[in-house]
Amino acid sequence: MTPKRISARTRNEWVTAYGFLLPNIVGLLVFVFIPIIYAFYASLHDWNALSPKVYAGWANYRELLHDDEWWASVRKTLTFSVVYVPLLFMSSLLSAVMLNAIRGRASGVVRTMFLMPFAITSVISAIIGMFMLDPRNGAVNHILELLGGSPQQFLASTSQAMFSIAGVILWINVGYNMIIFLSAMKEIPRDYYEAAEIDGATGWKSFRYITLPLLKETSTFILIVTTIGSFQALEQILVMTDGGPMNSTQVSVLYIFKQGFDMLNMGYASALAFVLFLIIFCLSLFQLKLLSSKKEGV
Amino acid sequence: MRKTWKGLGFAAISLLLVLQIACGGSGTKNSDAGASAPAESSGQASASADNGGNSGNGGKKIKLKFYDFHTEAEEKFFRGLVDEYNKIQDKVEIEYSTFNQGDYTTTKLPTAFASGEGPDIYMISPGDFMKFAKSGLMADLTPYFPEGAKEDFLPASLDAVTVDNKIMALPFELELLGLYYNEDMLKAANVQVPKTWDELYAAAKKLTTNKVAGLILPPDKGPYFNFIWYPFLWQQGGNVLSADGTKSTFNTPETAKALDFWGRFFKEGLSPKKLQAGPWEIDHLGKKEAAMQIVGTWAINRAEEVFKDVPINVAPLPIPEGGKAATDAGGWKFAVNGKSANVEEAAKFVMWAFAGDPQRALKWCTEVKFAYSPRKSVVEAGKEIYSKGMRKVFTEQIYDSAIPEPRYPSEVLDVVGDAMQYVMYGKYDGAKAAEVSDPKINDALAKANK
Repeated sequence: MTPKRISARTRNEWVTAYGFLLPNIVGLLVFVFIPIIYAFYASLHDWNALSPKVYAGWANYRELLHDDEWWASVRKTLTFSVVYVPLLFMSSLLSAVMLNAIRGRASGVVRTMFLMPFAITSVISAIIGMFMLDPRNGAVNHILELLGGSPQQFLASTSQAMFSIAGVILWINVGYNMIIFLSAMKEIPRDYYEAAEIDGATGWKSFRYITLPLLKETSTFILIVTTIGSFQALEQILVMTDGGPMNSTQVSVLYIFKQGFDMLNMGYASALAFVLFLIIFCLSLFQLKLLSSKKEGV
Repeated sequence: MRKTWKGLGFAAISLLLVLQIACGGSGTKNSDAGASAPAESSGQASASADNGGNSGNGGKKIKLKFYDFHTEAEEKFFRGLVDEYNKIQDKVEIEYSTFNQGDYTTTKLPTAFASGEGPDIYMISPGDFMKFAKSGLMADLTPYFPEGAKEDFLPASLDAVTVDNKIMALPFELELLGLYYNEDMLKAANVQVPKTWDELYAAAKKLTTNKVAGLILPPDKGPYFNFIWYPFLWQQGGNVLSADGTKSTFNTPETAKALDFWGRFFKEGLSPKKLQAGPWEIDHLGKKEAAMQIVGTWAINRAEEVFKDVPINVAPLPIPEGGKAATDAGGWKFAVNGKSANVEEAAKFVMWAFAGDPQRALKWCTEVKFAYSPRKSVVEAGKEIYSKGMRKVFTEQIYDSAIPEPRYPSEVLDVVGDAMQYVMYGKYDGAKAAEVSDPKINDALAKANK
């Protein structure tokens, strides 16, 4: 059997392709894979970043099993995720559907308006959110009062703070996800809708039986990415509440940040970070499996 | 083939860009001395802390790195101090870098020390003091005090930085707390300046309106939150830890009373649970959004310069029935890296800056900002300034009751902060919060001391 010859042209294409991929591969290695491996290594040590590491085996992992504050933070993260992900998904999809119906110049203007919050840095958007939701002088309470409602505590309330944060993060991200949905909708051939119309399908029916099934790939992508994002939300929470009031918004990433940088328990924080990584990884796999099995069933 | 080379060239440029982005932008502002030094010297400077610098190497100057977190006038003062020291001697060259305060303690210092690139000279807060001292990152400064200088410092200020009979840092400022108030608002409401806890509560209640907060207290957890609360505990003789710092003394009626008193202002809406400006900013009073505020000496200059049209005055912190006056004395400390190869040279600079000529310390405490010096001679030299306007109240009525801010580990701070919030948000009353927090403080101590 003679080895298959690779033509010079193919070889050149390969070299060019890998040449382009190289920066990303190096970036992934240096900024993702090596830190993950190092975090696991650090998690097996008692380390405060100031003194040399002392090998501690699985002690940090055993400790986190009994750390009530950690598990409370995991519950807070799940609550945030359960509130935020479906809300973001539905509002992005709904806005994309509405925007898809708008024709002409107005479409571009509305699209830009939706996307604008996404262009603001997360810290600035969090500060704007804080001003809007201020219990005494915030615009939201003024509007509520004008509508006859009573002013709310929002970020200063243990029961409202998490929802308020979810609202601010939603406001920032809805435009971006809406654009992804919109692009996918534009890819759906018009013939499908025309054929459905001839068969007497109404707007809802064509959305249910044409748009939604053909957006499955995009929906899967958005659900996975926003779920991962919801587990990683930090900057806005750090700025708006710093985990308060009474730790009601202390999500897992914030707890890890506090353990690592406020208390300098770097070894323990690394163990927590590694466990969170595993949780997100398993959840994403589960989500992917669930959505792809549904796809096969369609 | 030409196509391949073109592709590879493009890829190489992209890679370089990625690396450049990754390595750039530390957010540091180097001093003129540092910036004007040749690149080669900067490289040597980085190695100085761990590798011994270049002392005795062909008459070259020893490079020392100095980190802090100051901005504006304060940054200018330290930059000037470094420039002056670099000029008056030829053995040492100090490179000054200042960072955003938020990043300084949480990320900059720990990562610099973790990577072996820590500064030779740096500033440390009471909350981080023990962690750094125990990690060998603070040199014993006792032998470097100039003749007679130690005796010039208030004993309590040196006790606050002493570990195993070694003075591990140099205190250079004492920031005291007082009750600031808007004279017009109090007059209009026919309220006397409160002297007791009951009077403070009654005044806050009378002064609170839809637009004006009766009393500004910090609502969010963190070192500053605890810092403002401690005096209420101390005024009754209570404390968080035993005198030797080894066990919790939190579960006491004094703690319960101080927690209940604190929580009442928030529960009854006399103190806002969310603030737009930092609770340490006098702007709440300056913008007439509040009638009273507990804040430190640092607020005087801003109150006088920015809000001179607002009649702001200050009084000692109110005390409970049968209690004694107490206020917190905060302030950062100067430390020398115990792992530096040039401890002596670094310590000499620190001593020159704040244990030598009283005029430098006086300038810092009275011109750049307003604080008290822990040195008696400095306070004496600035007698005139220390008795001007609101400063007089601090000098004559508050200074003697100052207790240095405790150097509790972050884990303990966190538990105390939780206890305060339990009461603020009505989860527990003071007694229950003290009871549930007591064992947690002991656990936190054990964890911090392991």
